[in-house]
Amino acid sequence: MPDKPRIKVPKEAKKGEVIEIKTLLAHPMESGLRKDEAGALVPRKIINRFTCEFNGTLAFACDLEPAIAANPYLQFTVRVAQSGTFRFTWIDDDGTAITADESITVT
Amino acid sequence: MLLAPVALGLGVSASHVTAQIAAVPLALDGDASARPWRRYPEWPQRDSANFNTLATMASPPAPTEPRKLTRPITGDPALGAKLAADRTRGGSCLACHVMGPAGGADLPGNVGPDLSEIGNANNDDEMLYNFVYDARVYVSDTLMPPWGTHGIFSEEEIGHIVAFLKTLKAPAPFKTELDDPEKRPPPVEKRDNLDSMLNPAMWAVDDKAPALWTTTGPAGSACATCHQQPAQAFKTWAATMPRWEPRLAKMLGVEEFVTRHAKATTGHVWPIESQENIALAVYLRFLANGSTIAVDAESAPAKAAYARGEALAHRKVGQLNFACVDCHTPEGGAGKWIRGQWLAQLRGALDHFPTWRTSQQAIWDARKRFQWCQVAIWANELPPDAKEYGDLELYLIAQSNGLKLNVPGIRH
Repeated sequence: MPDKPRIKVPKEAKKGEVIEIKTLLAHPMESGLRKDEAGALVPRKIINRFTCEFNGTLAFACDLEPAIAANPYLQFTVRVAQSGTFRFTWIDDDGTAITADESITVT
Repeated sequence: MLLAPVALGLGVSASHVTAQIAAVPLALDGDASARPWRRYPEWPQRDSANFNTLATMASPPAPTEPRKLTRPITGDPALGAKLAADRTRGGSCLACHVMGPAGGADLPGNVGPDLSEIGNANNDDEMLYNFVYDARVYVSDTLMPPWGTHGIFSEEEIGHIVAFLKTLKAPAPFKTELDDPEKRPPPVEKRDNLDSMLNPAMWAVDDKAPALWTTTGPAGSACATCHQQPAQAFKTWAATMPRWEPRLAKMLGVEEFVTRHAKATTGHVWPIESQENIALAVYLRFLANGSTIAVDAESAPAKAAYARGEALAHRKVGQLNFACVDCHTPEGGAGKWIRGQWLAQLRGALDHFPTWRTSQQAIWDARKRFQWCQVAIWANELPPDAKEYGDLELYLIAQSNGLKLNVPGIRH
């Protein structure tokens, strides 16, 4: 059973409020610079991009590099103007996209 | 229906405990972990079969007399300096001694005395040589590994180390205060270990264990079939483990209990060190968080197990020839440094296990920690359900009696 992403989004917010979002994904973030017991390079496998869309519009994104530690933890703020759904996407080097949704009620 | 574990309060008489335990269904056949036991593939694979383990005695006997030198030491101090800081030789000298410029004075330990000015003491070669070869000929209860007798350094290499020791005449040139083990502050763990954003071991509590709890096994039942309200039922249970199990004639820890009880009731096969077993071991201890650790070390069989565990904690094991108490009591190395690693004492050592290990990106239960302690001192580990580990776990947890369970921990 793969670990599901951990996401903290407030359930409710006031219109125009700046809310804090925390996300964490279980991932080894293998840098590609490490050697195994036999001295061979362990191939790079990292999450290279993270995006957060709100109702289909990009709200936050970042590129991740090999220096980011395992289980990348991101904390960021967004201003919310209406109720809706956040879609979080983590893109792996192997092309896999891991997604998760969280909704918020804005009054 | 709730089975006996939850009914076992403290202060229940030993015979009463035994009678109730006998009612708990346990699969008594076979082992609770893989056989033959194979070491984790990512660990060092060196075989230390020629040295003591917690189950077998194999180390060569200690010499009774110093070795006589037939000619003066003609070692190379530069090679000696290199060997003194060689991390591939069980940490070598610098693990425990500040030694002047050796290893760039980079994070030396302080379990043993600072040797930076030993060259001023005019020790004779034979004494220095024997101290490194096997210090037991001078100090019978020394903590120092018998580098020569146990074959970690050759006679020629010890000659180089002695030649280097004789050149040491000035305090170590530390680059920063952190390099000086006398000034280095002990590590402080301030993270909230029950925050699942900080401690991935909490995912076992949040998701994995509750899912396993309701998963029906081959026998047609799940944990939840009998234990519908685990949070209430297991409020204190894990804080009273391990306990003596007469049918197996060994101390039973939470992990082995899960394996044998789940097999007997649900048919699930969850051997120790499987992901399922680890998740449930974390969960069952988490449910008892805040409970005071109170293991039985008073009833007759527990008292005997405690005595065996205490003896094991004092047994010298491995090529480096260390006992638990050598590193983890204040009379030994506790509160001091092995190079950059701080040594904890026995009390409080197990109150947070199973724990997340950031350096391993994995949850380690106490038995895996025991195994690693042994591999790290160049001894062969035992299978996690070995009866010796049960005795040792009782002895170690009893040192934490009165502390509160706080699981899962988070440690480097």
